Amino acid sequence: MVDKKATVPRSRRRQFFRMAALTCCAVLFLSGFFGQSFDHAIAQSPKTLTMGTSADYKPFEFHDTSSGQDKIVGYDIDVAERIAKDLGFELKINDMDFNGLIPALQSKRVDFGMSGITPTAERQKSIDFSDIYYVVQNTILSKKDSGLTIEASLDGKIVGTQLGSVQQEVAKKIPGAKLETRNKISDLIQELNAGRIDAVIVEDVSAKSYVNIYPNLQFSVLKGNEGGYAIAFPKGSNLVQPFNRAIATMKQDGTLKQLDQKWFSAQAKPTQSGFQRILPSIPYILGGIPVTLAFTFVSLFFGVILAVILAMCKISAIAPLRWFANAYTSVFRGVPLIVTLTLIYYATPQLTGYKIEPFQAGVLTFALNSGAYVSETLRAGIVAVDKGQQEAAMSLGVPYRLMMGDIILPQAFKNILPALANEFINLLKDSALVSTIGAADLLRRATVVGAETYLYFQPLIIVAIAYYLMIILLTFGTSILEKRLQKSA
Amino acid sequence: MLKVEDLHKSFGTLKVLSGITTQVDQGEVVAILGPSGSGKSTFLRCLNLLEQPTSGNIYFKDVRINDPQCDILKTRANIVMVFQHFNLFPHMTVLQNITYAPMKVKGLSKEQARSIGIDLLEKVDLAEKADVYPSRLSGGQKQRVAIARALAMQPEMVLFDEPTSALDPEMVKEVLEVMQSLAQSGMTMAIVTHEMGFARKVANRILFLNDGVLAEDTTPQEFFTNPQCDRAKIFLDKMLK
Repeated sequence: MVDKKATVPRSRRRQFFRMAALTCCAVLFLSGFFGQSFDHAIAQSPKTLTMGTSADYKPFEFHDTSSGQDKIVGYDIDVAERIAKDLGFELKINDMDFNGLIPALQSKRVDFGMSGITPTAERQKSIDFSDIYYVVQNTILSKKDSGLTIEASLDGKIVGTQLGSVQQEVAKKIPGAKLETRNKISDLIQELNAGRIDAVIVEDVSAKSYVNIYPNLQFSVLKGNEGGYAIAFPKGSNLVQPFNRAIATMKQDGTLKQLDQKWFSAQAKPTQSGFQRILPSIPYILGGIPVTLAFTFVSLFFGVILAVILAMCKISAIAPLRWFANAYTSVFRGVPLIVTLTLIYYATPQLTGYKIEPFQAGVLTFALNSGAYVSETLRAGIVAVDKGQQEAAMSLGVPYRLMMGDIILPQAFKNILPALANEFINLLKDSALVSTIGAADLLRRATVVGAETYLYFQPLIIVAIAYYLMIILLTFGTSILEKRLQKSA
Repeated sequence: MLKVEDLHKSFGTLKVLSGITTQVDQGEVVAILGPSGSGKSTFLRCLNLLEQPTSGNIYFKDVRINDPQCDILKTRANIVMVFQHFNLFPHMTVLQNITYAPMKVKGLSKEQARSIGIDLLEKVDLAEKADVYPSRLSGGQKQRVAIARALAMQPEMVLFDEPTSALDPEMVKEVLEVMQSLAQSGMTMAIVTHEMGFARKVANRILFLNDGVLAEDTTPQEFFTNPQCDRAKIFLDKMLK
């Protein structure tokens, strides 16, 4: 079909523009609002270069979990290693969501970004680029019997692209094509197989990989759309020139050609079934269980502490405390979790200079959110405690604080135990949202393995079962606890 | 010991107490009687400030306890109350119910509180129930524990708010016996009750409340044989029928 050197991916799933632009706006607005940015606070130690990448793009950067261990490898990683070595730096890799790359560069959380990034005029407004180190082409991916191999054949057909991607712009120029967008390329492939989409415009590396997995698919190069990947830097970075020199050297001495051979010839056709192929990665996926559980427990722990404080405010005689607690609850119940999470993760470094980790950002978000929900439940639980309990404590001279802590709250918590168990289960399921900021929880690991193996359903089915079993066990555990508590009453 | 001057209490527009003046001497046992809605419970609850009086003065040992400056917690720890519905803490054992306030409010050590608690449990004849939870007790047993809990604070006065009204008839006696022996020990007590026989036998004085005013303040002998006001006559008629 296509020469390997020429056939390489080109843009990527880039909802990027939209999400990144939104995030940037919010972040910039907030940092502007607080009147300060803390760029200098995020300076790196001079001997280390931090590279931002979204390691879900085989073979450029991906998690190799086939040994049960987790290691980020790929073409881009090798190029970066080589450049860092040439310039006398240690390379540190920071894995993140692709949408987070531009904000990360802008906040200098990372020194450069390599993640199969196509330089566009739009992106050049906010970040700098090196020369192109990898040339890619767009292709038409379709079913073998469809006959959709040239641009003209797409007239009147449904053509899918990734939302916000460079291909979306390309597809718009195809005469007569009806456009459909999805968030991920893997989603598009499923739609193609299901017959809801006639053809998909993707870069050649993706096309080749999917044709390997799905023998019923074919691809052909879409003429006149050559592009490539470049390394991204924060605006004004002094690394651009040294990197360009290093790239030129690697082009001349054949290093890039070698890497090409290494990463693009080795994609053997699969002979095993999907589940067999992800079998070696299952320990890696299930390694997300402790992460997910720890995340849920820690979030709920802090959430409950916060809920107690808020509930106390809500039943307080002091009006401003009640207003505050009610306003707080209203805000956190009114804003979708994923919005709060994204804001906290991307805005915190800009506002405070503290590079909050995905896990911390997740716990913070979920504790703040769950505090709002539990406080409402807890307030009801407190009100449900017999008024005589408070009077008995009062008439023994017990101070308010002790009365709450020793008499009322223990009974209130018992009242709300079923609701609390529910909250825990919800939190466990909602925790899958942290995968969007790159925390290595169950879902994130499934996505990583999916990107590595080009398999869509199998990793998801495994995590679905894992979540389900965890929740069944939890439900069982809480019902036992409830029965025991009822007996002691 | 306790002096009440022109005590008024309203809940919103509802006037419950309209100017009560009386006093209770040390060691006196006062029974507060009256038809329902006459303000008996509200009056009692004002005495340890579970309700804040709307106006008027309450003095305990010449200290005006409804003064905002006065430590309300101290007052309550000293004038404790026993409730109609016991209000035991369900998540604590019998002994924990009793030792909790002495330890947390008066700062007694665990051992001190425990020895007081066991002592009191013996007095109310429930020593063997020290480690069970209140849900395992009968109503009469619960009320005796509640009395022990109140006494563990070593108060100077105990208020009883209809202590036997929520009990099955066969359990009334065991509670009244405990109260009677407490009266005999010289404790100052104010009791809102519907137990006429008990009031007559144990109380030194009867306060008869009607429509938020003190209609009679007299001896049991006088009250039960020769009530002065018509309302008291009707009341006794109904109660002793």
